[in-house]
Amino acid sequence: MLKDLGSPTARSAFRSAGEAPLRSAGSPGTVRRRRTVLVLVVLACFTLIVLDARRSAGSPVDPVREAAASVFGPLESTASSAKQPVDNLRDRFAEMDRLKAENEKLKRENEKLHQDLNTTDYARNRAAELDRLLKLAPAYAMTPARVIGIGSAQSFNHTVTIDAGTADGVRADMTVLNGDGLVGRVVRATQATATVLLIGDRNSTVGGRLNASMALGFVSGRGEVGGTLDYKLVDLKARPRVGDKIVTWGSSSNAPYVPGVPIGVVTSVTANQGALGSTATVKPYVDPTRIDTVGVVTGPPARTPRTQLKPSTTEGKGS
Amino acid sequence: MIALRIGLAALFLMVAVTVQTSVLSNFAVAGVTCDLVLIVVIALALSRGPEWGAITGFTGGLLLDVVPPADHTAGRWALALAIAGYVAGLIRRETSAGPVGPLVVAATVVLGATLSLFIYSATGSLLHDPSVDWGEFGVRLGIAAGYDVVGAIVVIPPVMWVMGRVVAARERRRVLP
Repeated sequence: MLKDLGSPTARSAFRSAGEAPLRSAGSPGTVRRRRTVLVLVVLACFTLIVLDARRSAGSPVDPVREAAASVFGPLESTASSAKQPVDNLRDRFAEMDRLKAENEKLKRENEKLHQDLNTTDYARNRAAELDRLLKLAPAYAMTPARVIGIGSAQSFNHTVTIDAGTADGVRADMTVLNGDGLVGRVVRATQATATVLLIGDRNSTVGGRLNASMALGFVSGRGEVGGTLDYKLVDLKARPRVGDKIVTWGSSSNAPYVPGVPIGVVTSVTANQGALGSTATVKPYVDPTRIDTVGVVTGPPARTPRTQLKPSTTEGKGS
Repeated sequence: MIALRIGLAALFLMVAVTVQTSVLSNFAVAGVTCDLVLIVVIALALSRGPEWGAITGFTGGLLLDVVPPADHTAGRWALALAIAGYVAGLIRRETSAGPVGPLVVAATVVLGATLSLFIYSATGSLLHDPSVDWGEFGVRLGIAAGYDVVGAIVVIPPVMWVMGRVVAARERRRVLP
């Protein structure tokens, strides 16, 4: 391919039909026009940034976002269905590596492993993910959705697009989880798509409770690709231990986070430099690079019956 | 002819945005995906000059800013890609004595990736976006630039070939003896 590029015929592709002699001189008129275009475009960019920078008052760019989502949402879902062969391929490569390692030890089991390899199916994986989703949060009404777009690391955003929107009951500030644990929350929803802020983003903070001691703290993202999180306890004297598990402690009226969703496990604890307290590094249960089927908590939990405990009834039972 | 050219450019940009957000993210290297939109903008700039680079860069960047899953201030990628496209167009003009060789194209892509990522991050810092992490900047830029050159080898020749086909007959007659 590279060699082809160097050949005269392929080079002609770069020549843009040789309009070079026509414009190479750069007469004052064209230079002026060129600069005008640049200045106009840069001014337009600054206008946009200033208009959109104040999010609190409702940005005037939001209608544009809605329109873009309504056009590109269906396109993205179509394009991401091209993902299926890719995913199969990726699974297949992973399986191959495993097979090679096993081969050295157990050559006889090779055929059986090949059979396993062929039955690894995308659809089956998805069904298994849905099953685990149902087991994780049985109390909530969930809307399943698929990830159709992932933000890139260049833009420092840890966000994904899912293919469920307001038409499916998804609104901003809803909890998103999958079979492993907490994924993030919905920051923006349009007709057919929604944008999810992952917990690994630097803009994300989740209230987390230590499973072992019920101590409260805050989990914030570090912006790393692996999704590593920082955890700080509210009580400065308490110290988390390595291996402690962290779950959400929930927000009022379940928005943006419902209680009891597993977040991750503490992998190391360091004392804060020059201050009280300690910061724990948390490895999330959800691998942010491999999320596919997620669930959005769209309904309240079935309210647990709370009957009053009366002294007479307990006495009656006791005697 | 002009309408056809603009239509083609718009089509290229739309396809690039869709593919970059939903397909290429599955081939991410350490989270970094190929900047397909940047590559298309550079291809258009190399074939049509700085004005086209600036305008298509603005349009493509604006799409990247508003199409989900983007969640940053709109206008940041637009500014970054507009300037990268303009500079790419200038390079085309500087070397216009001869055809643009593959090495110049690769260098332009690396320069464009550096410029756009720097402008994007700098505007983020100015706006106090906590997600911008300058410690990670170098690594991500390195991976992105390498990945973009690979993508450019596949994308730039066909885009420039198509754009070269739709030159107005009048323009072509004056250029080709």
